[in-house]
Amino acid sequence: MKKSIFAIFFSILLTPIFTDAQTSANPIKASDLFGDLRARHIGPAVMSGRINDMETHPTNARIIYAGTAGGGVWKSNDAGTTFNPIFDKYCQSIGVVTLDPNDPDNVIYVGTGETWTRNSVSIGDGLYKSTDGGATWNKLGFENSERIANIIVNPNNSNEVYMGVLGALWSDSNERGVYKSTDAGATWEKILYIDETTGAADLAMDPNNPSVLYASMWEFRRTGWSFNSGGDKSALYKSTDSGKTWNKIHNGFPAGKLGRLAIAVAPSDSNVLYTVIEAEEDTKKGLYRSNDAGNSWEQLNNDFGITVRPFYFSRIVVDPRNPDVVVKGGLSGSISRDGGKTFKNLGNMHADIHDVVFDIKDSDRMYVGTDGGVYRSWNGGTTLEIVENLPLSQFYHISVDNEEPYNVYGGLQDNGSWYGPSSAGGGVKASDWVPVGFGDGFRVLRHPTKNIIYSEMQGAENVWRYDADNKLVKTIQPLPQKGYPKLRFNWNAPMATSMHKPDRFYMGSQFVHRSEDMGDTWQIISPDLTTNDPAKQQQEDSGGLSMDNSGAENHTTIFTITESPLDENIIWVGTDDGNVQVSTNGGKSWTNTTPNITGLPANIWVYHIEASVHGKGTAYAVFDGHTKGDMKPYAYKTTDYGKTWKNIISDDVEIFARSIQEDFENEDLLFLGTEFGLYITLDGGASWSKFENNMPAVAVHHVEMHPRTNDIVMGTHGRGVIIIDDVSPLREITAEALSKKVHFFSSKTAVMKDQSGGFGNGFGAETQFVGRNAPSSAQIKYLLPKRHTFGKMTMEIQDMDGNKIVSISPGKSKGINIVNWNYTIKQPKVAKGKTFSFGGFTSPRVQAGTYKAVLTKGKDTFEHTFEVVNDKKTGLSDTAISMKHETTMKMYNMTQDLAYMVYELDAIYESVKDSNKKLASSLNDLKETLVVTTGDNYVGAAEPQLREKMADLYSKIAGSYDKPSAAELESLAVIEDRFNAAKEQFAKLKKKAKVDDLELKTFDDFVNE
Amino acid sequence: MKTLKILSALFIFCFALTLNAQTAEEIVDTFIENIGGNEAWSKIQSMQVTGIGRQQGVDYPFVATMMRDGRTLIDVDLQGTSFIVEAFDGENAWSMNFQTQKAEAADSEASMNYKNEASDQIPNAFFDYKKKGYKVELVGKDTWEGTEVFKLKLIKQPIMVDGVAEENVDLYYFDTENFVPIASETVVKSGPAKGATAQTVMSDYQEVDGVYIPFTVIEKLNGQVNLEMLYKEVVFNADIDESIFVMPKE
Repeated sequence: MKKSIFAIFFSILLTPIFTDAQTSANPIKASDLFGDLRARHIGPAVMSGRINDMETHPTNARIIYAGTAGGGVWKSNDAGTTFNPIFDKYCQSIGVVTLDPNDPDNVIYVGTGETWTRNSVSIGDGLYKSTDGGATWNKLGFENSERIANIIVNPNNSNEVYMGVLGALWSDSNERGVYKSTDAGATWEKILYIDETTGAADLAMDPNNPSVLYASMWEFRRTGWSFNSGGDKSALYKSTDSGKTWNKIHNGFPAGKLGRLAIAVAPSDSNVLYTVIEAEEDTKKGLYRSNDAGNSWEQLNNDFGITVRPFYFSRIVVDPRNPDVVVKGGLSGSISRDGGKTFKNLGNMHADIHDVVFDIKDSDRMYVGTDGGVYRSWNGGTTLEIVENLPLSQFYHISVDNEEPYNVYGGLQDNGSWYGPSSAGGGVKASDWVPVGFGDGFRVLRHPTKNIIYSEMQGAENVWRYDADNKLVKTIQPLPQKGYPKLRFNWNAPMATSMHKPDRFYMGSQFVHRSEDMGDTWQIISPDLTTNDPAKQQQEDSGGLSMDNSGAENHTTIFTITESPLDENIIWVGTDDGNVQVSTNGGKSWTNTTPNITGLPANIWVYHIEASVHGKGTAYAVFDGHTKGDMKPYAYKTTDYGKTWKNIISDDVEIFARSIQEDFENEDLLFLGTEFGLYITLDGGASWSKFENNMPAVAVHHVEMHPRTNDIVMGTHGRGVIIIDDVSPLREITAEALSKKVHFFSSKTAVMKDQSGGFGNGFGAETQFVGRNAPSSAQIKYLLPKRHTFGKMTMEIQDMDGNKIVSISPGKSKGINIVNWNYTIKQPKVAKGKTFSFGGFTSPRVQAGTYKAVLTKGKDTFEHTFEVVNDKKTGLSDTAISMKHETTMKMYNMTQDLAYMVYELDAIYESVKDSNKKLASSLNDLKETLVVTTGDNYVGAAEPQLREKMADLYSKIAGSYDKPSAAELESLAVIEDRFNAAKEQFAKLKKKAKVDDLELKTFDDFVNE
Repeated sequence: MKTLKILSALFIFCFALTLNAQTAEEIVDTFIENIGGNEAWSKIQSMQVTGIGRQQGVDYPFVATMMRDGRTLIDVDLQGTSFIVEAFDGENAWSMNFQTQKAEAADSEASMNYKNEASDQIPNAFFDYKKKGYKVELVGKDTWEGTEVFKLKLIKQPIMVDGVAEENVDLYYFDTENFVPIASETVVKSGPAKGATAQTVMSDYQEVDGVYIPFTVIEKLNGQVNLEMLYKEVVFNADIDESIFVMPKE
């Protein structure tokens, strides 16, 4: 049976009515058991995130793709109004998205690995292809390509595909250069390769002659402390024989070394080419144009907007209909309408423009990919509007507070610092997020007891202390001190608070700085804890041909600080150059424990240290070597203050990790944030399972566990904040639990919350991202060792005497099942009228108390009891709550009594309508006072009758948090009188009808049918 | 119900036969065989389902009537009143307007698309899929909610969306133990939710007159439950008043 319209009907029409650890005997494969544990995304999308590549469909102007830096591939079907993700299972760092122009609805190539090589870039893991419009994907190899810059399909031959692989940023690699496939991607031949330091930065095909290709090759390298762009091997090449032979086309180019070059062919004139050149001399940098297909070049422009940061901005796009209209990515983005001689900035939008595409039919319409999402223009790039449903925010770090609902705090790449609620009325929307810092944002921490927020910008240039109640801001970063060398702060400088001394605040440069008065005064409590390697401190020379000393390469710094939750004197510090330092005396002395770790490469980044709640000497350290080209995960655990460390990574983890979170109760339950998603272990790291339930393979930069809710909260670098609500069932998954037919997990007392969230704010939600809220229902959670597919399986909520309260739908999947019950019984049976009684769609809530969930599976039944309590926030006394419930149920019963009376009346009417017209007429007259018998459900509605008045009052009382008011009780008395009168009248008419032999359903059968 | 005994016997038998099933075609053939076989299903000319539609904890009784040729009527009981949420008379789809409770025709494109898939109603899209011009492809083994599955792609006739023909691909997840689908997935092809992922989860397979159908069908949108359909009774080849499928005139 099909279903679509049925489902849509309910959703559209009905909804609005209702107000060394690798050995383990038998590791449990947790990935099969996650079941209904499901991630929810709360964004934000207000500032979106970095876009790497935009792509249009060649014939359908409604279809636009965005390849994002860290949030996967998104597709728009409505000309960029909204987007949907289509690549969540795979690497989320995207270099390029390309459609086969011969079959653009079906064939999509995705080259992974972003290509604008800033310090915080993620990595790719190869080339993917879909032949069914993105429904399924196949990986075509290139696992070590790290970054794919271009894919071009011959518009006359789908089998002929070219690919420019930029390749590894952090290390040598020979998996780079230009590749060609003649079998639609199945096999590839490397057709242009320079050496292991030089990759293909850009590739273009003459659309009018696909055998003509242009390729720019770029010599580049990044380390944790430096960047180099340019060298003798960077060059621009041309092939006129489909890639068999290549020649440099440098006639008119500046002498000396070259850096990153872009190349574009004007689609409307194959002779017109543009390149942007990064050269040794500043005067020779900039835009060059060729009018003879690359035989000669002329420099036209070297404005700031054209030459700025070539590694980050080197995209040139030519209007498909006009060879003289050319757009260059940049800090603001630049557009020329005179063939590249002069440029003006694109209109106001988020800074850092990486790619632009023109609409296929109308050059006034443009789509722009920035560090802050996708923008649309309707007037040739003069004014731009942001796409509001791309939650691509790139968090470096997150933290949580203890509010109800709790807030999530964090800082973003190029998008400041923010906090927002984990749940909000109508869902978490853009307007729920509050900015608390400028620039790039990193760590944001809430003071443990006061409404004070600490935030920072890059390199601790500013550290803010924000009094959120009074809107007071003070900068409190540690400043240079007499007798100490220049402070070296990381780009992403560490900060920490204390669970023991609420006003205590830590920051890290190469020293640990501690303040006992919220940053007003500082004390250095450590020596230089880094290697202090001078070779890694030459940032003023960083950048290569274009100096790039943004502070992002600052190195030999402290990167993570944590104070033990069990002892304020135990402080752990990790540095970006490999040291794990511990003090057990409040900073008086420090011990570097890294030499005690076996199997760890030297001097790799200590990304995160988690001080355990399970023992004073217990801590976890996560190391990241990717900036040395080492993509392996490293995480270790100590229980003796770092004297010995145990490896807790298994072969299950595919890629480098940055963050770890322990469970606060079960020491063997750990959560690992990796570059390709979240991993969970149930056995202390002997085996790990990837968590994929609505969890994209996104870089997880930080993981927190909320101590009250047991939620896992993740700061991702590309998909915003992602939460897994209440992971406590994972604590109970054991071989014993799995051996049972059903294992019920212990359940929290369920609170019948009465805050319906006010009035929400749905305006704009049609095109905005809205984050999903945490469930507020009672949850029954159980473990099934195997999926239930055949035969009946049902669940009832019962009172403790075994009386059925309501039927609910059980989960049937293998692993964790979570069944939600919204505390209500079924709607009352409502008298049949001509139209609907909207009040009658209200389901009343049960009273607080103990209930049973009874699961029936085949012949077996299983029971679980749980508590339901009232929400204390209503301020109602128990008496008032009882009165409300009794009144509600009185009206519920009245509503059903009236329904039965109308049912009886209708039946009697049918039996006497021919034999006793007078009686029938009297019955009809009575009915017209009981229910509406004319009109419709909108502006043609009839005058409300008893049913409508009764149901509306019932709904009003049931839907209120408060006890019934005097006015409501008075109104109830009036309705009751009228109902009693109607009952009397009906009894008389019924007597007259003499229909004792009429077969009628019993009341119980009627209301339960 | 005698379901379980018959079932276990049936599946022991089928499982032995199909242990090595690898191709999409074999998986589909086994599936059809396991739910009763071509012959049994060919004899079924109509199917009437009585059940509950459950949304946000609220139950709505419904009766769904489907004919072999695709004619359909889904009648929901709202406060004792019949409300047609979905109907198809063989050519035109229609439903009731909520405000007026009167029948209104679906747009012609929706009717055309409905007609193109009319023969998927009994028992499902895989029945006679070759005759319908559909194709199946095995994507590979996967897991669905922890259960090992064969992931199959079903490519149906293109669907018309705002005047443009679009590919019409569904993914099905067949339990590798029993060779029945436990879920399917498709990208919403039209309307405001276009581009979102719709999922259907099937369970409670039960036997009725020698054939098997899932008695619980859950519709999800982007992973969140939208509608649960809980079958209470299924009747085949009942005496159906065929005038019910025709859109009433005022």
